[in-house]
Amino acid sequence: MNILVFVKQVADTEARILIKSDNKSLEIENKYNLNFFDEFAVEEAIRLKTKLKESKIIVCTCGGKKAIEALRTAIAMGADQAYLIDNTDMDTEDPLITAKILAGFAKKEGFDIILCGRQAIDDENGAIGPMVAEFLNIPHISAIMKLDVKDEKHMIVERDLEGARQTFEVELPALFTTQKGINEPRVPLITGVMKAMKANIPILDPLTLGFQKEELNNGASKIGVLFYETPKARPPVKIIDGETPQDKAKKLVKLLKEEAKVL
Amino acid sequence: MDFTLTEQQEFFKKVIVDTVDKMIVPKAQEIDEKDEFPWDLWKEFTALGYLGLRYPEEIGGMNADKIMCMTFYEEITRGSVGFAQSVIMNILMGTYFIYRFGNDSIKERCLYPAMRGEKIATICFTEDQSGSDLGATRTTAVKDGNGWRINGTKMWITNGPICDFCTVLATTDPSKGLKALNFFLVEKGTPGFSSGQVLNKLGCRGTVTGELVFDNVWIPDENFLGDELGKGVIYVGEILDEVRLMTAAMALGIAKGAYKEGLEFARKRVAFGQPIGNYQLIREKFAEMDTLMNAARLMIYYGAWMMENNMDVRTLAAEAKMFATEVCLKVVDEVTRIYGANAFAHEYTPQRYFRDARFLLYGGGTHEVLKDFIGRNILGKL
Repeated sequence: MNILVFVKQVADTEARILIKSDNKSLEIENKYNLNFFDEFAVEEAIRLKTKLKESKIIVCTCGGKKAIEALRTAIAMGADQAYLIDNTDMDTEDPLITAKILAGFAKKEGFDIILCGRQAIDDENGAIGPMVAEFLNIPHISAIMKLDVKDEKHMIVERDLEGARQTFEVELPALFTTQKGINEPRVPLITGVMKAMKANIPILDPLTLGFQKEELNNGASKIGVLFYETPKARPPVKIIDGETPQDKAKKLVKLLKEEAKVL
Repeated sequence: MDFTLTEQQEFFKKVIVDTVDKMIVPKAQEIDEKDEFPWDLWKEFTALGYLGLRYPEEIGGMNADKIMCMTFYEEITRGSVGFAQSVIMNILMGTYFIYRFGNDSIKERCLYPAMRGEKIATICFTEDQSGSDLGATRTTAVKDGNGWRINGTKMWITNGPICDFCTVLATTDPSKGLKALNFFLVEKGTPGFSSGQVLNKLGCRGTVTGELVFDNVWIPDENFLGDELGKGVIYVGEILDEVRLMTAAMALGIAKGAYKEGLEFARKRVAFGQPIGNYQLIREKFAEMDTLMNAARLMIYYGAWMMENNMDVRTLAAEAKMFATEVCLKVVDEVTRIYGANAFAHEYTPQRYFRDARFLLYGGGTHEVLKDFIGRNILGKL
């Protein structure tokens, strides 16, 4: 059984990110990680592998050469093989293009299950998983919290709703995106780290996946960033004085009515 | 000159940084407060396999190069010095002479379990009256039948009270000074071998450090660790440079941990209407600290590169140890000033770094001894 895991390398949450002078691009400190939600996908793939006979975990990302590091992390955790699809010359702002490429890779490689994080923590689109599933014309369930094998053709998956949990039976092939809490991603063993350090990670040209240049290159995107802006500074905290709790409550209500205008 | 790390070294660095952040940093404060050996963390961390860092892959090690070793020493110490000391003892000094001279049976009994974290190792140099002055070692080893009889007391032994085996430096002829020093293996359970006083230390809490007593301890000939008698000091020389660079990397690790805390504080703490990091006198501190830490980093990794290329690194290793430790002391001090009064409270981390940094002044050679050594290497005997 082929388990594909799509991952993304994202800026570390502690990396300093500045808006460049053109207001349309970002300057990101050189600190990157495997996307937080994708770690759950890799871990779930490894756990799934132990339950399925003769299965193989293939990890793939669409990114720059630096993203090989994220793939090595997945191998160190326990993935069998990794591929980098080099997007250096591509229009990367539109997730539709990335999803198209990843779906192209999945078709070429063959798959039974595809796992990926529910969203990347940098752009927070949460679009790739569902889009890839649509391109491949396969079912998908988002933000799963549990994945069990029913038989070789069916999975039982669970996801949380507000105040409830939904359980599905899903026919394979299918795509699932992983939610925080589904598992506890492992810390790699040194043997895994050594394997990852030596792993040969092929770099693929997206054009070898059956696309025309104009479908992917700059200008192909149907969306474009107009500008970035930093969040407005929060107004200072106002402490309400008063001799008694009743006085304070009265003043608070007055402020909510007159200043905040929420009552 | 090429200062870039290879892709493999970069990846290793990333993995160890992440592992330390995930596994050790959250427990560092508790390790310090409890001052007990963190057995749970030891089991969890050593199960990952890092204790074989320096040893060949054929025996379950990683065969890491010296750059990677320094990265490891620096990062694990950034996490918790108390924990790092115990780990590094198993990786380097505690097992080196067993690996180098132990027979198959000794390696099966001691080295391989120590590489897996199942046994705790240590090395015993220091005594109550001698540290850097190895020639003053008073612990004796006297030939007795098919073995040796060891008598003496060792002090300041990292992991000592909890060790499963130790490499002991002893003299086979007190009248011959350095020329009669030799290493011997003593295992837990050997009659006459016991632990004495456990030290209540200012810093590096969590590491159990103390006294080991050898009272008429008899060990078989195979426990003599060497090719021939009297070469102990020469064998020390084989790892001394790495030990000094390792100590320097530990100092940089402490400095880095403290610096990061200071940086976060300077960004968030507001005084007179703005973050204190906006004030020039605070910025000046970061400029100084960053410059010094970069200089220390260059010395340490240059030394590691020299060692990897079999170059003579004796002087530089001593200089790096001395410089990085002094930088560390400066950084932890500055961070306490940035933190203000909060640095004086045990609830915050700067006081821990401030206390921990002091220990590195003595480990790997005091700076007074090192300066004399460096000066002698430069000037020779006039």
